[in-house]
Amino acid sequence: MNIAEFKNVSKIYTSGDHTLKALDNVDFELENGKFIVVLGPSGAGKSTLLNMIGGLDIPTSGTIIINGKDISKLSNDELADYRAKTVGFVFQSYNLIPTLTVYENVELVSDIVDNALSSEEMLEQVGLKDHMKNFPSELSGGEQQRVSIARALAKNPEILLCDEPTGALDSQTGIVILRLLQKMAKDYGKTIIIVTHNQNISKMADVVVRVKNGKIQSIEKQAEPLSVDEIDW
Amino acid sequence: MLKKKLLRTALRYKSQFISMIIMIALGIGVFVGFNMEWVSIEENTDYVFEKTGFADFRLVSENGFSKEDFDSIMAISGVKDATRYISINTTVKDDTDVIALTVSENISVSGFMLIGEGKEYDNDSKDEIWLSDQYAEKNNIKVGDKITLTYKNIEFQASVAGLIKSSEYLICLPDPTLLMPDYNSYGFAYISPEAFKEAMGMEFYTQINVLSDMDKEDFSKAADKALSKTTLVLSKDDTVSYSEAMGEVNEGKTMGSILPVLFIAIAVLTMVTTMHRITSNEKTQIGTLKSLGFRDRKILVHYSSYAFSIGIIGTILGIGIGYGLAYYIMNPYGAMGTYIDMPTWNLYMPSFCIIVIVLVNLFLTFIGFLSVKKMLHGTAAEALRPYVPSKMKRILLERTKLWNRLGFGTKWNMRDIIRHKARTGMTLFGIIGCAILIVGGLGMQDTMNYFVDVFYNKAINYQTRINISEQATNEQALEIAKQYNGDYSSTVSIDIAGDPVSLEIYNIEHDRVRIIGEDMGFVTLNDNEAYISKRIADDNGIKQNDLFTFSPYGSDEEYTVKIAGISRSMTESVVMSESYAKKLGIDYKIIVVYTNDTDIKSDENIANTQTKQAIIDSFDVFMELMTTMVFLLVIAAIILGVVVLYNLGIMNYIERYRELATLKVVGFRDKKIGGLLIMENLYLAFAGIIVGIPLGLWVLDYLIGALASEYEMVSCVTITTYIISIVLTVGVSLFVSLIISKKNKKIDMVEALKATE
Repeated sequence: MNIAEFKNVSKIYTSGDHTLKALDNVDFELENGKFIVVLGPSGAGKSTLLNMIGGLDIPTSGTIIINGKDISKLSNDELADYRAKTVGFVFQSYNLIPTLTVYENVELVSDIVDNALSSEEMLEQVGLKDHMKNFPSELSGGEQQRVSIARALAKNPEILLCDEPTGALDSQTGIVILRLLQKMAKDYGKTIIIVTHNQNISKMADVVVRVKNGKIQSIEKQAEPLSVDEIDW
Repeated sequence: MLKKKLLRTALRYKSQFISMIIMIALGIGVFVGFNMEWVSIEENTDYVFEKTGFADFRLVSENGFSKEDFDSIMAISGVKDATRYISINTTVKDDTDVIALTVSENISVSGFMLIGEGKEYDNDSKDEIWLSDQYAEKNNIKVGDKITLTYKNIEFQASVAGLIKSSEYLICLPDPTLLMPDYNSYGFAYISPEAFKEAMGMEFYTQINVLSDMDKEDFSKAADKALSKTTLVLSKDDTVSYSEAMGEVNEGKTMGSILPVLFIAIAVLTMVTTMHRITSNEKTQIGTLKSLGFRDRKILVHYSSYAFSIGIIGTILGIGIGYGLAYYIMNPYGAMGTYIDMPTWNLYMPSFCIIVIVLVNLFLTFIGFLSVKKMLHGTAAEALRPYVPSKMKRILLERTKLWNRLGFGTKWNMRDIIRHKARTGMTLFGIIGCAILIVGGLGMQDTMNYFVDVFYNKAINYQTRINISEQATNEQALEIAKQYNGDYSSTVSIDIAGDPVSLEIYNIEHDRVRIIGEDMGFVTLNDNEAYISKRIADDNGIKQNDLFTFSPYGSDEEYTVKIAGISRSMTESVVMSESYAKKLGIDYKIIVVYTNDTDIKSDENIANTQTKQAIIDSFDVFMELMTTMVFLLVIAAIILGVVVLYNLGIMNYIERYRELATLKVVGFRDKKIGGLLIMENLYLAFAGIIVGIPLGLWVLDYLIGALASEYEMVSCVTITTYIISIVLTVGVSLFVSLIISKKNKKIDMVEALKATE
């Protein structure tokens, strides 16, 4: 079964006379339960792609079907509900709420999701059980990213979307985060889509999507993806 | 180039800039407006007092003063000038209008000034009269018209020689129980001593009015010595014209000090928070300028000039508002014009206002200077680093069990309230200010309504007040009282610690007049105790059951009475029953009969009559004035609330933009996020109301004490006022929150969550 289908999707940004085709008539399908890496140089349109899947943005034309549901024509509130139930986001800059503790940052999703997973369990899974009462500013970058992963997974989403999740981290911490993502994907059976410009990360993917100039260049399945520790960083 | 940056930054922070300008403009406007008002009243009344020789002292004797008495007074060293003077209430023939007919032997004391065309005053003229221009205008009388006045059995006809104003009638009230002049039915006029002598058939003056710089006690002693008897001396403060005009001055002083402080304080606080925000937001820009080689001084000047230009624009607008406000109150056709009858209505800008305005502007600029100074510390590299907000600290509440039960939204809001103390404080300040103004304003109106209800609608239980002629005997007055089933009263001037006070003696059998007690209820007079009005009691430390002694003017007798309690009255008075007065042996003359009868037959023993309606009508204008004032206060409160809360709301929104975007990404609906923002404001609104309403009541008490002590009022606030105050304050908070929460829809999640270095 397909988790995502893009049918003739275009996204055009206009400002004044200037138009920018971020996505140009994109057509592809992604399989459920895979570890997917979207690769491409900056400005290629990979973040736009991710934002479309995440329901942060709607296409100018075309249809996007996620988990069997057309999300390209949803209202604002329907999109919010879609984001709450179907996707979890992990950003390069963590985006935690500075005035909430680690525990509260994760727990907040229970306000909007009925079948939220236990916050304590998620934090234990990412190895931050001892820091539950800390504020984000009291944690290192890697720890903060682990909180944001716990928050994304606590919603029990279908897809985990990660936009350059290791971009702001040193390589050692980055490896820890990637290992965690790979483990969580396996343990919880989620589809993970990572957007990055780092070639190395693509080695751990089941599927590698290459994007360039707003078009899909290739979709390549890797029969035997490497584990994080096998990759030469 | 920095100038361009100045303009662009101003555009970016336009809501903050505009709200600061509005606050400063309102603060300075109210400050300048009310202070101009009282200074202008003082200047303009000084002018007419000076120009028409307003007397410093009045010697009063019902038996009249002789030429010799006058010469003895003139001989007192310290007396600059004096005149024999009389003012009697005459009736316009074939009409009910009353004219206070005035004669001043020496017109340079207690005289008048000519308004417009007309003949100058002539001391020998026999058939001419100089008439109040206001009365003339209301009654359509022109120079040259004939007018006939009657007094007792005397008729006096004269032609109007000129239209005038006089400081003696600056506030032209026939009776101190009335609040507003009514030139339709009451005016004043001057005639020459010659004309007076001819009409009366004799010379008769009940007053000697004196210009002197002596103090009252010295003058009183000197006068008693000169006339070799104790005589009632009234100082300026005892006259309606002077005391009421000074009352207006004091009102202006009060209004000009309380309100502006509130507005300017809010403007300054807004300036502190906003400048801190701007400079911390632009910290990297400041670093950039620094690393480019701009000197600290230049950067300081640049950022200080924001604060400076905001101050200047606010000040210019404020002075404009101030002039407008002062003109609105202080013009011959406006509110004050119906009250005070001044020949000139010039507006004066007091010099201390200019000093205060300059200081406020310097202070505002200094705030701008300080907030950028903080950011400039250290090297350019340090300045380049972005501003880091203060670290999160755990709050006390978190240690309690309750905390864990709270939803995430409440926790989020609580922490935000604690973390941004300045913003929270400002919001509270704005709401408290808003609540104070609304409670104060509406409470003022409640109090006035209550006052009118008790003092007029209820205490006046008669339909007609019959003023007994001066020549009528007590027997004749009693006859009238009996004829109309009326109650009656007498007034005797008595001396309490050197101040003239009236002793009011009532015979109340028909419940036509009621005496108001300390708790605003009514009290019954008994046969062996007297009531004393609150002001005298407070001034002299007199309490219930005390004994106290007084002596009537022109008599050496002393009477000691027991005080039954405190009464509230428009006049400073001691009230007792007729039977108690008889028991004590006090001499009195019945002067008023109160009756429910409206059909009063003319009688030589009746001077004139007044209906309850006419008395109540006279304060319609006064109440109208009050309503305008209350309306202005409530509008000011709403502007204050909206501006302050909007400014802070926008600030909150910008500061939490990223957090709001995160919540959106996580899947919170716009409404839910909006709800969180609204909740935070509602918490603060309720906290503000809880503090603001008691403070408003306190301010109301202060205002009533300062503005209306002469009415001996008690503040009264109705349930409706509480409800309106709460609804309006919460309404303002909700309205602003709703506008701001609408902005959630426009949050660009992608843009907001882009990585920052």
